[in-house]
Amino acid sequence: MADRAGLSVRGLVIAPGVSPTTQTIAPGEIVGLAGLDGHGQERFLKVLAGLERPAGGEVTVEAPTGARAITNFRKAVACGIAYLPRDRRTTGIFPTQSVLDNFAVSTLSRDMRYGLLSFAGRRQRYESYRDKLSIVAPRPDAPITTLSGGNQQKVLLARALALEPAILLLNDPTRGVDVATRHVLYDVFRGLAADGMALVILSSEIEEILLLCHRVLVFREQQVAAEITGDEMKSDTVIAAMFGRAA
Amino acid sequence: MSGLRRMAARWRGAGFAAVLLVILIAVNLLLNPARFHPAAWGALIGLAAPLIGAALASAPVILAGRGGIDISVGPLMGFVNAMVIQVLFLRLGMSSPLVIVPAALLIGAVVGAANGFLATIVRIQPIVATLGTYLILTGVTLTILPAPIGPAPGWLKAMAGPWSALPLALIFLFWWLVRQTPYYDQLMAVGSDDRAAYTAGVQVTKVRFIAYVMTGILAACAGLMLTALIGSADPNIGPTYTLIAIAAVALGGVSLAGGRGGLAGAAIGAIDIFLLQSVLTAFNVSTYVLQIAYGAILVVAVIMTALQERLSGRKG
Repeated sequence: MADRAGLSVRGLVIAPGVSPTTQTIAPGEIVGLAGLDGHGQERFLKVLAGLERPAGGEVTVEAPTGARAITNFRKAVACGIAYLPRDRRTTGIFPTQSVLDNFAVSTLSRDMRYGLLSFAGRRQRYESYRDKLSIVAPRPDAPITTLSGGNQQKVLLARALALEPAILLLNDPTRGVDVATRHVLYDVFRGLAADGMALVILSSEIEEILLLCHRVLVFREQQVAAEITGDEMKSDTVIAAMFGRAA
Repeated sequence: MSGLRRMAARWRGAGFAAVLLVILIAVNLLLNPARFHPAAWGALIGLAAPLIGAALASAPVILAGRGGIDISVGPLMGFVNAMVIQVLFLRLGMSSPLVIVPAALLIGAVVGAANGFLATIVRIQPIVATLGTYLILTGVTLTILPAPIGPAPGWLKAMAGPWSALPLALIFLFWWLVRQTPYYDQLMAVGSDDRAAYTAGVQVTKVRFIAYVMTGILAACAGLMLTALIGSADPNIGPTYTLIAIAAVALGGVSLAGGRGGLAGAAIGAIDIFLLQSVLTAFNVSTYVLQIAYGAILVVAVIMTALQERLSGRKG
């Protein structure tokens, strides 16, 4: 586990002409992003990951060693942010590669021994995440396409976690994943937060956000329309905010 | 056990080419035992080496995906051939391998870097960018060497005779080392899906650029093997290798869409084509028919590979 760090968003504007957002996401917190599709929550998450440039404002990682601004994706990764993309078929998995290769691609240099790769070391790292996430895969060298959707998603999560991030950004992580696997993932997310990781979860399912998150930011028309916490976190209030009605 | 399994997985992609290889070796042994006698292996490998080298050289950029291809491999071989004999050996009088080999590899790296710059940084479609290089190199080669000329240094000629396996062994050693570095996994990831590679933190442009440089260096090696084989310089032979090398790569199970296959497959594909050539010449078939046979084999091979993949995918 890397150093604890939080995420600070100051005056962030994701589209021209909307009111700015200021937020602090603390270590150990799980923040949900909700909204009707295309209302800015995905853009917001991508800005946090440094994958898209905002129209204004800034995002910084608040680590004990100091604050560092996120201006691009590479910097975000260097600051301890890991991002799990939404559409695993087009932007997540490498269909021609094995489960093990898919797992290791972000953290290849960690298996270097005397300047060369240690495949045994890579396999060991994979096995530890396989246990943690209970990945069901026949063999590490099987093609990733032979796994079920839920298990492919777990491999991608293992890839992100192998970076030992302080902040984990999840873009609809349980989309197309079966119910049993979902609950495994929920437990994993809760465990990570308990260990001090900050998690931001975009989800298209309100139930999931209510079950998992400490608070939720509801997006409407490219801005945060409501921030809901505590007893207010009920599906009625979230849905009302999504549709722009006062609860 | 797992080693065996990994070997099997690696050979699966080149499955059809490997089967064809066994058949062609058997047929060749029946038709022409003397030519395939162990005593003749040195010359035999030397004869096949330029094509194998050209196929190996073509592979890295194809593996890197998104239409990556380098059709200037053949002309680059010809250019290296002309530079080594005409400029270094005859004009400047340098014959030491310690000068010629590094100079050739440097030429390859520079041309590869130029291709890489055009294809990955300026982002011209690779086939167009390398077509430009193809034409330039062909023209430059003919300018410095209008007509064939000889000879070649003795040590270089030995690389097509008793020592013919050495350059190929060195290339495979080099590739084995590449496989032990993070670069190989990044290359395959980029070839498999470049957007996914980007979100996984891979520097896509850099990885592709290096692939072009590697292709250039390997093409220079192939150029040296060609020089060794013909023992002279000939401006017209190099360019003929481009298309046949790409055919060999496809035959060897390397997907032209990227991310699938490897150098071993490319080499097997090249050996298949060489052996096929050998069988057909044993029957005194004309070179026109030879071309038809290449084309037919290539189409069949690509269909077989696709079928094989579909079947293995269904089995899960």
